[in-house]
Amino acid sequence: MMFDKLKRKLDALPCAAWELTETVREGWEFYFIRRDLDQHRAVHVTGYSVRVYAASKDGRSLGRAAGDIPPTATDAEIDRALHALLSRAELMMNPFYTLADVPPAVPFSSEPVDVEGISGGFLSAMSAVPETETEFVNSSELFVSGVTRHTLNSNGVEFLCSYPSSMLELVVSARQGRREVELYRLFRSGTCGREKLLGDAAAALRCGRDRLAAEPTPKLEGIDVVFSTADAVELYRWFAQRMNAEMKYKKLSDWEGGSGVGAGAALCLEALPSLENSSRNFPVDAEGGVIFPRYLIRDGIAEQFWGERQYSQYLGLEQSSLVHNFRASGGTEGAVALREGGCLELVEFSALEVDPASGDLAGEIRLGYLRRGGETKIVTGGSVSGNLRSAAPSLRMSAEAVRYDNWEIPAVTRLSGLRIAGVS
Amino acid sequence: MKASFSPWLDAITPALRELVGVLGEHCEYVSVLSTDSPGFRLSVSQRSKSVSDSNLTTERGSVVRVCRRGRWGEFAFNCFDLADIPALAARIEAGLDRQAALLDRCGAKNYPTGLPEDAPLELFVEKETGSFPESADLAALTERFAALSGRGVETIPGALDCVLSASSTHISKLFLSKNRYLRQSYVITEGTVRAWSPTADGDMKSIYEGVSGLGGPEILDGLDAKLDGAGQTMAELLASGRIVPGEYEIITDPGVTGLIAHEAFGHGVEMDMFVKGRALGADYIGKRVGSEKVTMHEGALCDESVTAYAFDDEGVLAGDVTEIERGILRSGICDTLSALRLGTAPTGNGKRENYAHKAYTRMTNTVFDSGTDSLEDMIASVDSGYLLRGAESGMEDPKHWGIQCVVQRGYEIAHGRLTGRVVSPVVLTGYVPELLGNISMASPDRGIEGNGACGKGHKEWVKVADGGPWLKTKARLG
Repeated sequence: MMFDKLKRKLDALPCAAWELTETVREGWEFYFIRRDLDQHRAVHVTGYSVRVYAASKDGRSLGRAAGDIPPTATDAEIDRALHALLSRAELMMNPFYTLADVPPAVPFSSEPVDVEGISGGFLSAMSAVPETETEFVNSSELFVSGVTRHTLNSNGVEFLCSYPSSMLELVVSARQGRREVELYRLFRSGTCGREKLLGDAAAALRCGRDRLAAEPTPKLEGIDVVFSTADAVELYRWFAQRMNAEMKYKKLSDWEGGSGVGAGAALCLEALPSLENSSRNFPVDAEGGVIFPRYLIRDGIAEQFWGERQYSQYLGLEQSSLVHNFRASGGTEGAVALREGGCLELVEFSALEVDPASGDLAGEIRLGYLRRGGETKIVTGGSVSGNLRSAAPSLRMSAEAVRYDNWEIPAVTRLSGLRIAGVS
Repeated sequence: MKASFSPWLDAITPALRELVGVLGEHCEYVSVLSTDSPGFRLSVSQRSKSVSDSNLTTERGSVVRVCRRGRWGEFAFNCFDLADIPALAARIEAGLDRQAALLDRCGAKNYPTGLPEDAPLELFVEKETGSFPESADLAALTERFAALSGRGVETIPGALDCVLSASSTHISKLFLSKNRYLRQSYVITEGTVRAWSPTADGDMKSIYEGVSGLGGPEILDGLDAKLDGAGQTMAELLASGRIVPGEYEIITDPGVTGLIAHEAFGHGVEMDMFVKGRALGADYIGKRVGSEKVTMHEGALCDESVTAYAFDDEGVLAGDVTEIERGILRSGICDTLSALRLGTAPTGNGKRENYAHKAYTRMTNTVFDSGTDSLEDMIASVDSGYLLRGAESGMEDPKHWGIQCVVQRGYEIAHGRLTGRVVSPVVLTGYVPELLGNISMASPDRGIEGNGACGKGHKEWVKVADGGPWLKTKARLG
């Protein structure tokens, strides 16, 4: 009813165009301390997002103002909010662009999400995590949502889709005598994915055991760095960000279509409408753009930018969309081979950060494996830093792939030219 | 003028009182937090403009907290019929019952917790503000930001663009339980200047300056001054080199000092982590964790910043906790349920990202106390090291007391003098007790900044502020 009311009021508003999205979210959340329940939470929220557009008199500029209308808003509050949005849109003139005007002809699900069933699957899987006396789950937080999104714009483009979105925060501990260490994992997915979850949890427990045996990271110069866990997504995310239309329009990316991206001839980066059990599987973006599969980077060459309609049109892209699922590929070497020779394999960071504009990279090392001279040492402490733009020409990727929620990337990535600040 | 309390919240108060009463018939404890916080977010550069009436702190909704048969649960909602509260109560109970049934099937046991004190308390606070985001003259602000952006592009060497951003929120919160009736209203505002310039070798450098505080959009007037020094900073960054990794003597500006405070003994003494055995700090109360120069406070009462509330999201009055006193760890900070589990008192640090999120123990203002040493004396005392400026990001590690801080730039010091050489960026890592134990000098002045947001792990973003004086210590830089 609120959706229809807002549609009527938007139709009556003297604006150039509008977009309206209703998002209904049912969330089930469970918080555990060891195996005991801290608390459980239910979230039943509905949101109405509105974008109001104003055009300049000469038709060369378009302004937009965005707002959220509370579902409890009165008629007077709605009228006031919409007129304020129109006034603000008139202040925000940018070069003209158009809204979606072709109804998305793609199949999508509007079936309600079985939030209870997904939650049950997670709780069952978590009870099966193989703990021991010395390696165990310290605490966990489970978030399961069923989201239904209904979007309509002033061109009559309308779609409704539902999807599951889940997140599990898992903290595992490993103990040796009085000494205890912990590892942090944040798994995102659509539904549970029991086997993958149990495998990832078992791997985290193994890492915990290794961290107990770790020595301080020594001073290291000129050693290759290997990335083989979810943090490696940050490396490939940088390539995706550099191919974003807004970054390009704002001159924060200097990459050109048809030119190399400085990562050798192998790297491919694809935009995908869906990935197995991704938490971001919806075929249409928030602006009504169909998310179609395409290469953003093919064989090391920038092929197609992606992003919001506004910035895509500024770049002259006839067809574009936001992208929520990515696949990075192109490696031909085996994962085992990429770990050979002197290298430092880093599997746990406090946070691995890559600046999207500069490519500056930094992370505190929480767990790594130093391989040289036929020996492997487990190390912790210190930091890795450097610049991904500079290091990208040395990029080596495994043929084997691994999936982390909405990203599929090479299982092993190797880079040269990064600096290690050791502890000892 | 006073930041007026939300008429919407006043209007729904009788219905929410009824809700507490109806649910109270089946629950050992019931409370409701309701929020109504309008605001805006504005961004203006040479290449684009955008405006929205939502930002990190805007919201309108409610969350009910109940304890039923020893089990704690919450129900967050933003749609209900004021005229039919029994129906809302039934919906809440049915929603929580479905989850309880699943938990029972899984054999989940409740963590022993107890019930919070619910002593009678009424509070009505409307803090001072100079203006409101709802009535801000966005036309004038947009025009001023466009002019500042233009000045930034002209004066910052090589700037591709200069982005002026602002957000402002008029926060109103209502907390009700059987015996508590708390209302507060205040306005927070923050603004930033950001610019990017490419280096000759294709690298990119960025500068970031901000203003923030308790008050309305008038706070944004401070952005003009922030732009004044931006050109010099960018020139230094464009000429900067890379640091040789190693351990150095360092001097930190108030922003970097605040980042260290936040990551070291901000997260390190969040006592929900004590309950889980996730923080070393639990074993160090009463023990030395820093030098005699280290005294640190935490609390919403410590400063009139973006997180200077009168009560937290669990209906506990704001506090000022002395966490570290002359190097000795005295106390942590605590939310209500964690306090019950630890047998201590909550400190007014139970915060939510918004009404739809869980309350955790979270920081407010985390601040090192000032000292007596001048910055000039600090620099003169350094044989080989760096003066670090421009806090960018950090990460905590309460279990092992590791710390990571990413800093924009470091000014080399050799033999007691700044050499003029600048390095950028700088990654500071270390072991927290060593970092704090090596603090040997602190300046008399101090600064507190409240731009940006803080996560719990990698989620649950809330506003925090932190700061302190210029400090001298030792750290590993890379």
